[in-house]
Amino acid sequence: MTSGILRSRRPIRAAEVGLGISITVAIIAIASAIPHLPWQLLKPLTSFVARYPLLNALANAAMVANFVALQCLGFIWLERKFAGWMQARVGPMHVGWKGLLQTVADAVKLLLKEDIVPTDADKPLFALAPYLVFVPSLLTFMVLPFTSAWVGYDLPLGALFVLSISTTSILGVFAAGWGSNNKYSLLGGVRAIAQLLSYDVPLILVMLSVVMLSGTMSLTGIVTQQEKLWNIAAHPLLMIPAFLIFLICTLAEVNRAPFDLPEAESELVSGFHTEYSGMRFAFFFLAEFANNFFSAGLAVTLFFGGWLGAGLPAAVWFTLKTLCVIFLMMWIRWTLPRLRIDQMMSFCWKVLVPASMALICAAAIAGVSH
Amino acid sequence: MNTIQDLFSGFMSFLRGMKITGANLGRDKTTVLYPYEKADVAPRYRGLFVLPFNEANGRLNCTGCTLCIQACPTNVITLTKLGAGKHGGIQDFQMDLGRCMFCNLCVEACPFEAIEMTTQFELASTDRNVCVFPLTSLAQGGAAAAEKNYNTISTALAAEAAEKAAKAAAAGESGGHGAAHAPKEGA
Amino acid sequence: MVNTATTEQRHTVEVNLGPQHPSTHGVLRLLVELDGEIIVSCRPVIGYLHRGLEKMFEKRSYKQTIPFTDRMDYCASLNGNLAICQAIERLGGLQAPERAQYIRVLLCELNRIASHLVFLATYATDIGATTVFLYAFREREKCLDLMECMTGARLTYNYVRPGGIPQDLPDGFENGLNCFLDDLLKALEENDRLLTGNRIFRGRLEGVGVVSPEMAAAYGASGPVARGSGLNYDVRKTAPYEVYDRLEFDVPVYHTGDCMARYLVRIEEMRQSARIIRQCLKDMPAGEIMCKMPKIFKPPIGQAFSRTESPRGELSFYMVSDGTPNPARVHGRTPSFVHLGMLPAMLPGVKIADVIAILGSLDTVLGEVDR
Ligand code: SF4
Ligand code: SF4
Repeated sequence: MTSGILRSRRPIRAAEVGLGISITVAIIAIASAIPHLPWQLLKPLTSFVARYPLLNALANAAMVANFVALQCLGFIWLERKFAGWMQARVGPMHVGWKGLLQTVADAVKLLLKEDIVPTDADKPLFALAPYLVFVPSLLTFMVLPFTSAWVGYDLPLGALFVLSISTTSILGVFAAGWGSNNKYSLLGGVRAIAQLLSYDVPLILVMLSVVMLSGTMSLTGIVTQQEKLWNIAAHPLLMIPAFLIFLICTLAEVNRAPFDLPEAESELVSGFHTEYSGMRFAFFFLAEFANNFFSAGLAVTLFFGGWLGAGLPAAVWFTLKTLCVIFLMMWIRWTLPRLRIDQMMSFCWKVLVPASMALICAAAIAGVSH
Repeated sequence: MNTIQDLFSGFMSFLRGMKITGANLGRDKTTVLYPYEKADVAPRYRGLFVLPFNEANGRLNCTGCTLCIQACPTNVITLTKLGAGKHGGIQDFQMDLGRCMFCNLCVEACPFEAIEMTTQFELASTDRNVCVFPLTSLAQGGAAAAEKNYNTISTALAAEAAEKAAKAAAAGESGGHGAAHAPKEGA
Repeated sequence: MVNTATTEQRHTVEVNLGPQHPSTHGVLRLLVELDGEIIVSCRPVIGYLHRGLEKMFEKRSYKQTIPFTDRMDYCASLNGNLAICQAIERLGGLQAPERAQYIRVLLCELNRIASHLVFLATYATDIGATTVFLYAFREREKCLDLMECMTGARLTYNYVRPGGIPQDLPDGFENGLNCFLDDLLKALEENDRLLTGNRIFRGRLEGVGVVSPEMAAAYGASGPVARGSGLNYDVRKTAPYEVYDRLEFDVPVYHTGDCMARYLVRIEEMRQSARIIRQCLKDMPAGEIMCKMPKIFKPPIGQAFSRTESPRGELSFYMVSDGTPNPARVHGRTPSFVHLGMLPAMLPGVKIADVIAILGSLDTVLGEVDR
């Protein structure tokens, strides 16, 4: 089927896609080789760091922060390219090879921009809000198991930690909405609270049902539990609906279409971050993408056997699966229109919550019969 | 049960939509990377003006009859006549394109084909004075303007139509429907 | 801030939607009073784009008024050209040759498609489906390419003249047009699956912004707004102009009166326009495209009124001649202005997201509202 105007025919060449994928894979391979590098040469340094818990924590935090920032750069590029291709456009093309460095250019631009604070804003709150949003999304990465060894801190109560920490970002969103002293921001903030709080309920219930089946709250434990069969294949009748509910809830948690009400462009201009500019805006942006990556990673951990897989290194498996889930989320985002606030709420409380309750019961029965 | 049915049909409608957006991933893109490549412009496109210059007698076609000035709704054109009378020729001819609507009325009014429009469309500037085009930048050798065929469509459109027609003809030969573009009844 | 005391007593806030807002499609300012997410009252503030076009008409000759109508409804400027040219023709007793009439109808319908595609694109974006925007504009681009080949401009066509049209169809136009219509029908069918059938989209539009037939008639609504409310009123049928009485097409009418009905009317109208264009191409006779015109056009003293069906509704011009080369008075009856007047009655009680859906479904063009 030919479409498009002849003068601007621009097929995506298979080679282009192949090259993109192979670069991604190469980066992942290098990353996965990191544990096997001759680290013992650094032993004096590492043992020095390890002796002081504070230093150790700082080093870990720096690594996580850098990882999140770097991963966001790639992820934003991917998102833009996919969005472009889906919309019959070409996406960023100008900076770097096929626009690879566009995000870097944007980051530089955001750094150089004037930092505007509205006159009547609640200044401390306004300044604090981006970090209140960004820090929780960073913290969650601490317990995400990329491989059995590569996990920031393997908490025995990882699932609980994730739930409680990610919920605190609501505070930041509302601080932004309130502190901006802008009616659009306030409306966006209020919407965000309503949305995030309600969608946390089915999210928790669904995660609980997985926890009940696995018998552990540690995220690494949940993955090792799936050694034989991924959760989604082991209990398909239970886990496929669970995955769908989880996906819907995470879409709502990260404010993505069809749940982008808090920042609904056509209604609220830009929602809770309408008044933000420069680096503060970048923090919101970064937090959103970090959250997105994390949610996809969590979905992989809970349902698709985390790093488990044959042939490739564990970290590669994990990243590939995560990318697939991210792609699914992008695909949904660029297809569906936005819900209205009452539809969003009633969908959560009338459909998702009862469904996840039923899931919990089913999981309990399945767990007993095990 | 209604709710469940509704949920299911809603879910299926999402899948149908995602099938289309997914299919578009691999389709041809419509972007023209503008400063690097330029879109094909139709011959009739109304862009920058020229005053054709007749090389045979070494004169501009323009006689200074001021009909174009009378036709223009926004007073774009000012001219100074060379000689007295209606057809004395012109000394100066100035167009302030900052006020021009590119409406074609002046071109239609001219009885001597002495003012024409080209497909040159990159006329934006940050300085209002740059919008005032004097005679020296408007006058142009007549050959280029005379050759222009106003009675065709842009080459890209023509090529696309030809390609489609060829395809339809090929389909027709292999036993498909006959005429390339039989008018369909509206759905 | 109007009535601050009252808003405080009522515990409501006032929000300015516009004049710089992503969804007002131009410079419209809506002063809405909000009780949480619910609209209490709404007051449209217009005039940001006022250029005094009607006064400008009086200072210009009849022919010179035409390019200004391009700047009224800039999404469908050919319909504006046609409306004012019909008024001029009636004043001067002119009659366009048959071929010119066919070409006028053909181009007006092509312009209707382009205009409705803009509606589809912006409306989908308003509801949150950004991808449809690009798909609709991809089709519109082909449409504009054709218009460019024909008229020489992409938006402000200025193509109709009193007594005919200035240039005949270019060679190869017919093939290009047929190609486009094939693509359009395919794209519309695709859009049905992508957007029209979408559960969220339907949920956002069905039952929202209901206009009863009585209300539509009382406000003088026309075009898709009236037809979405069950009024079977289309100037092309009720008072046929040009060659519309010889063409076969259906007028889609929906009876629910909500945003979905207005959306569906426009989508169906694109298909009907395609049908009309195909008939025009088939039936078009050869011959002149311009009637004999006097050198200086001075219509006799009198008045004239024209009615046309623009993509937005009934677009009319009233013209008075005092025997000089310039009209003495021109008035345009523009559908967007009328439809915008319905907003204060439609909005109270709906959610803020519905404001955007309702405003978008009226498909107003601010150039036409402010003139
Ligand atoms: S194109 Fe129209 S506005 Fe421009 S100079 Fe000619 S008549 Fe005047
Ligand atoms: S351009 Fe044509 S109409 Fe204008 S003054 Fe010259 S000859 Fe007359």
